[in-house]
Amino acid sequence: MIMKKYIVFILLFAGGIASCKKELDKQPQGVIASSELNTPTNVDKMVIAAYSSLGNENLHTSNSLWPWGSMRSGDAYKGGDGPGDNSEWNDYEVFVTNQNTNGLTDQMWAQLYNGIARANNALQRVNAIDASVYPQKTQRQAEMRFLRGNWYFMLKILYNRVPYIDENIPTTSYDTVSNVSYTSDGLWKKIESDFQFAVNTLPAKQTDVGRPTKYAAMAYLAKSLLYHAYTQDDNHAVTGIDQAKLAQVITLCDSVINNSGYALATDFGDNFLAETENGPESIFAIQYSKDDGTPHGRIDMGHSLIYPMNQAFGCCWQHIPSQDLVDAFKTDASGLPMFTGYNNTIATQPADFLSQTFDPRLDHTVAIPGHPYKYEPNFVYQYNWARDPATYGPFSELKGAVAADDASFQKIPPFMSSSKNWELIRFSDVLLWKAEALIETGQYLAALPLINQVRQRAANSTARLKQLNGSFTSNYKVVTYQPGVNCTWTQDYARQALRTERRLEFALEGNRFFDLVRWGTADTYLNAYFASESVIRPHLKNAHFTKGRDEYLPIPLNQINYSKGVYKQNPGF
Amino acid sequence: MKKYLFIVLLFFAGQALAQQHQVTGTVTGKDLGTPLAGVTVKSPSATTSTDDKGQFSIAASIGDVLTFSFVGMETTTYKVSSTKSLSIEMAFTSGNLNEVIVTGYQAQKKADLTGAVSVVNVNDIKDIPEGSATRALQGRIPGVYISSDGSPEGGTTVRIRGIGTLNNNDPLYVIDGIPTTRGLEEINQEDIESMQVLKDAASASIYGSRAANGVIIVTTKKGKNGISRIDVNASSSLQYYNSKLHMLNTEQHGLAYFRAAVNDGSDPNNNQIYQYNWNKDYSNPVLNGILLPEYIDAAKTMKPANTNWFDQIGETSLLQNYNVSFSNGSDKGTSFLSVGYYDNKGIVKQSHTQKATVRLNTDFNYFGNRLHVGENLNLTALKDKLLPIDQIMFTALVQNPIVPVYTLDGGWGGPAPGMTDRQNPVRLIYDNSQNNGYFGRVTGNVFAELTIIPGLKFKTSYGLDYDGTFDRTLRKSYTSGFLADPSNLVNESQNYDGNLIWNNTLTYDWTHGKHSLNILAGQESINYLNQNFFGSRQGYALENIDYAYLDAGSSNILNGGNGASYALQSFFGKANYVYNDRYLVSVTIRRDGSSRFGQNNQFGTFPSASVGWRVSKEDFLKDSKLISDLKLRYSYGETGNQAIGNYYATYTLYKAIYGTDPTFTADQGTAYDISGAGSGTLPSGFVKTQDGNANLKWETTKESNFGVDFGLFNQKLSGSVDYFIRNTSGILITPGYLAVIGEGGMRTFNGGSMRNTGIEVLLSYSGQLSNQLSFNITGNIATFRNKVTYLLSDVLTAYPGNGTTQTILGHSINSVYGYVVQGLFTSQDEVTNSAAQPGKGLGRIRYKDLNGDGVINADDQTYISNGNPDFTYGLNISLKYKGFSLAAFFQGVQGIQVYNTYKTYTDFSSLWPGTNWGTRVLNAWSPQNTKSNIPALTLVDANNEGRTSTYYLENGSYMKLRNLQLGYELGDLLKGAGIKKARVYLQGSNLFTVKSKSYTASDPENPSGAYPIPSITSLGIDLTF
Repeated sequence: MIMKKYIVFILLFAGGIASCKKELDKQPQGVIASSELNTPTNVDKMVIAAYSSLGNENLHTSNSLWPWGSMRSGDAYKGGDGPGDNSEWNDYEVFVTNQNTNGLTDQMWAQLYNGIARANNALQRVNAIDASVYPQKTQRQAEMRFLRGNWYFMLKILYNRVPYIDENIPTTSYDTVSNVSYTSDGLWKKIESDFQFAVNTLPAKQTDVGRPTKYAAMAYLAKSLLYHAYTQDDNHAVTGIDQAKLAQVITLCDSVINNSGYALATDFGDNFLAETENGPESIFAIQYSKDDGTPHGRIDMGHSLIYPMNQAFGCCWQHIPSQDLVDAFKTDASGLPMFTGYNNTIATQPADFLSQTFDPRLDHTVAIPGHPYKYEPNFVYQYNWARDPATYGPFSELKGAVAADDASFQKIPPFMSSSKNWELIRFSDVLLWKAEALIETGQYLAALPLINQVRQRAANSTARLKQLNGSFTSNYKVVTYQPGVNCTWTQDYARQALRTERRLEFALEGNRFFDLVRWGTADTYLNAYFASESVIRPHLKNAHFTKGRDEYLPIPLNQINYSKGVYKQNPGF
Repeated sequence: MKKYLFIVLLFFAGQALAQQHQVTGTVTGKDLGTPLAGVTVKSPSATTSTDDKGQFSIAASIGDVLTFSFVGMETTTYKVSSTKSLSIEMAFTSGNLNEVIVTGYQAQKKADLTGAVSVVNVNDIKDIPEGSATRALQGRIPGVYISSDGSPEGGTTVRIRGIGTLNNNDPLYVIDGIPTTRGLEEINQEDIESMQVLKDAASASIYGSRAANGVIIVTTKKGKNGISRIDVNASSSLQYYNSKLHMLNTEQHGLAYFRAAVNDGSDPNNNQIYQYNWNKDYSNPVLNGILLPEYIDAAKTMKPANTNWFDQIGETSLLQNYNVSFSNGSDKGTSFLSVGYYDNKGIVKQSHTQKATVRLNTDFNYFGNRLHVGENLNLTALKDKLLPIDQIMFTALVQNPIVPVYTLDGGWGGPAPGMTDRQNPVRLIYDNSQNNGYFGRVTGNVFAELTIIPGLKFKTSYGLDYDGTFDRTLRKSYTSGFLADPSNLVNESQNYDGNLIWNNTLTYDWTHGKHSLNILAGQESINYLNQNFFGSRQGYALENIDYAYLDAGSSNILNGGNGASYALQSFFGKANYVYNDRYLVSVTIRRDGSSRFGQNNQFGTFPSASVGWRVSKEDFLKDSKLISDLKLRYSYGETGNQAIGNYYATYTLYKAIYGTDPTFTADQGTAYDISGAGSGTLPSGFVKTQDGNANLKWETTKESNFGVDFGLFNQKLSGSVDYFIRNTSGILITPGYLAVIGEGGMRTFNGGSMRNTGIEVLLSYSGQLSNQLSFNITGNIATFRNKVTYLLSDVLTAYPGNGTTQTILGHSINSVYGYVVQGLFTSQDEVTNSAAQPGKGLGRIRYKDLNGDGVINADDQTYISNGNPDFTYGLNISLKYKGFSLAAFFQGVQGIQVYNTYKTYTDFSSLWPGTNWGTRVLNAWSPQNTKSNIPALTLVDANNEGRTSTYYLENGSYMKLRNLQLGYELGDLLKGAGIKKARVYLQGSNLFTVKSKSYTASDPENPSGAYPIPSITSLGIDLTF
């Protein structure tokens, strides 16, 4: 009897052992294996997942690039509750304390490579599938290469030397790809080849407005070539301008201008309103959305911190237009911008904006005490909507914002933003790229009508800029350049006119710093700005741009460490 | 002398023959209800002792007092009131060696233990109304580090012997044989019969893959043979919030702002609140008056106030605790039923936890006790107010005093222009006070134990441990200063977690002459499942919790859900051998398989061995009057840790994510509005979420323990000393990875090692000063040193250090890395001659140029604190005099450098210019106040003074009077009412704290804004019927 019990027990044990392998075979819950994703339907979904990355940004890492392109350019301050609030941005703004450990530098790097990895993953699957079951194959290849080009372009202007990985490199050898495997020139060529493929393949029109067209690719190719044309040495000094590339820029821009159907919007403000998004000027935009089944909408988180402090918004008043930028919108007696001396007096009080003349783009770009916020005469921006005016002055940003009663507005406590699109490339950019290429190739007379076209549209864009009583918010006066009448149009003058026009047209859109670096003027321009601006803004007292270092961000220390030294640091960090 | 090895002897109360003038009865040990043999029983006329069954018979008359005494037990007296058979319970004094200790699937006599096992004296924490047995145990067990906040729900963090891993460091709890990782706050403290802590790996290794952080074994109360009783205890407490920080009032804030602005040379009137009447002379400023605006907001709803926000959120509150238990026992079986109710209104207004527990433990004996069948069942229901406590505590700290709680028309006050966007903490309390979380937990098992032949037993137990959470919250619309949200939202979520546990053990006890052998073999399988889902809607017509169900919402309809599972399969065996009561050997092995690990390493084996030598049993010490016990112990064991999430490690996985909440982290979603519609359902794809690693395996902890147990003067003085070396290797880490890999590049590796060493000392002294006055002093002291010994180089930057030349390797995992502060710049010479430091100036913090290169930069950082205390200690003193008992328990932490994050608010006007600041800023450095070490006031932090530095490190040593209890046994006073025993007591918790003068916040135990720890005073009564 005892033996029998033992046997029963041993059998029980044996049973346990036999069943245990199966017991331990727990299937993952709620996930899918890679191999399931190669059907035509799922491959097309992988393409969508890559597009999705365009809008997968963090509140600190805007895909508009304003924290790098605008806040570091003299056009804007960090804002917020003093320099300690989001101090990583403060480090960007004053340059001297920016280090290779800045977490946002690493986050942005990762954000851009996340997009590239999704594009590469989709490309591998698109490349592998047969066109007979997936007729959109080549077009999707071009779309993915366009997106990849976009992200590499952003990496290039932020970090300069970056590891280049495409869909043909196996994941297992990613850790051998150095950021210096390609020269700066080589990287531009890789970026341009993606855009070139897209130019050759994409249709002139897309049913889905979110997908790039042939002309969007041409515009982006032109932009890349323009940057590429300004050659830099290893210390980021501009050593020359490649005339052949500028010629290509001109050709590409011509094609967009003449054949694409894109055009300037009637009113400048159309580019910054949800109700007019995907308008004629929008060549390629991030398509944000809300009420779309996600917790708070796929909204523009990159602009979520820019709203002022009032009951309609309440947070966080960052990306604050600088006094220098506001003054730069002044026009002289003839209605032309002032290349210098515009900040001899500063405009802050409501009366200042009526006693002098201004470019109307000011009130599309900057919220000013006493001026309607985002074109709403009943919703006037107040000095007390500023969070820390003692440090950062009284202004606020408008281009990325919407009014609180706008259909696209979305609260996401404690923040807010909107589903308004963000235009990565708009038509006026193409006009001014062409103008820039013409000027730098000596054809500055041909640039004149292009710049004037942009100015004329600005002059026409006052309809929304009115107070409740119908009067204009500021005293607007903008005229075109008329050689012999109000200016002498030399190459040098044209260059100044172009550069000023770019500043006013694209203020706070995240381009300015990259323009300065492209032109090779970042150090002189910014150090002069710090000297003058710090008189009224003491937080800039220690600010200094170090030539040969600060043109680019450092390679994030984390990435250098993960690469086990395969990545090389940028000079000066 | 005959020995019993944890044998459950049964006793037959009715069997003794009653004789005239003879009083009979049975004496049992209080803890386990086992009969006690050899107890001396004295009456005025006779002396006898109990037999093997604990029975006695003695001549006595009604009214006589019987005295029961036994070595190692507390002497008990009983006044004879009838000739009925008596049931006498005796409690062990501490240090007793015959105490039976549950050590994992079995029990052992304390004398035979060879590992490091701490026994909790449950009596010491009786009637401490903390809502959690672990919280009440803080400081009482050497080597067990318990930290807690003051929240009513009673959550604690328990660390045994330092920090063993970079992952989950929580110990494993085994409640009546059911392993669980949930703490004890959901168990009724009054139901706990005994608690043991298995500290060393040899003791814990029987629990294998889940034992690396130590094991806490809890046995709940059972009915006892021959005892029928009802216990009632009730207590009522008041809790006080007396650790408030000193923040500026409205006028002081205005003054500090003025000084800061003038120091900067900027116009102090360039702000939106305060206006100053002053002489406009920056070099010799004279302030004539501070003018407050009539209203602080443009809408004229808020007049300037002088609000003390900590006073507004705190209150003195009531805590109530009631328990009733019924127990019965006979030789046919026992039963125990208890009902408990705990109601804690915390010291933050509206916070509230209500907890009801029911326990039913029964067992049945059949076939002459050869078959023993039973069950343990615990039901817990908990209701908890869902307040955003962290945010409330933080906003009470930073909200400006000029902001009123309410507007003139009764709305919520809130931040006005010029202030930071922080909520009104009172609004946070009341706008969330309608939200409750409901929690239920069922824990229990059924078991059967069969004695196959004498000494050979088979036991099977099937248990479950399921818990569920249901939350329904209403987020109300509000306007509060410039903050407002016109929308409302209702969120309902449910989560349930469950474990099914089946274990089978076979034990064999064999004693022959001087040999005593005990063998255990067992098998266990555990299946875990989690499922959760939520739904939310917006657009509610009424903001009333009775209305706020999902159906009533009209817009933004969202839902989601997820799940996880894992399984464990284990086999284990243990053998204990004792020769001649002197030489002890114990060997354990466990083999665990887990679904969480890779195909190549799904099983792990955890062996251990320990030896002991009872020196005091040797002939040369046997008759020593001095040494009553001396035992040397050594153990070595291996344990594992699998508490690292459900990795499904072998798989490379993709997921359809659609969209995630992008509030604080980027959207991880895969949907995109490709058509530009702007809203509606979006096309969506898939994204990679992880890379598989088939080689993933357990973390392994290898530990050696050297111990000595001793007793002197017939166990009057007893104690133990343990020294351990604990090495954890193969720590599971999911390193950051090369970003070019893109999303889902994370892989988990066995990539770290850590070493902890430490010493634990426990000493106890019991004495009798007179016939009526006895006392006991028990003290413990423990220390550990932690260091990281290996890490994958990829992850070094994720830990304090610069990632290359200065890494966490060789340092404690709690280390702080930063700048060394040398004081303030107090003279222009100092400023001129110091290293280049952007932002240096008079009154600014002077950082040390550690590398001497003349520049203060990132290279001038070092390890400035190891984050761990030098040692921790506890001291319990108890006195008994007649019916009175007095117990005082002190607990302390010595030599810890606390990083005081509050200081960025209390010491600076520049780091958070829009918030309120501490009163310390009024004493900031200035040319007129040169003794201060608080940096000069400024509004612009040009010197980056918020950087991690020794400025924020403070001596966090403290000693607290954790408990002070005075009790009185009412004795015979209530006998007539059928009450056998009655005791009333006064109890105080956290009555005072001794802390370092240099510590600038209020409670070193709580250096950041967790729920404040209250002082508690209680009045209670224990009755036995």
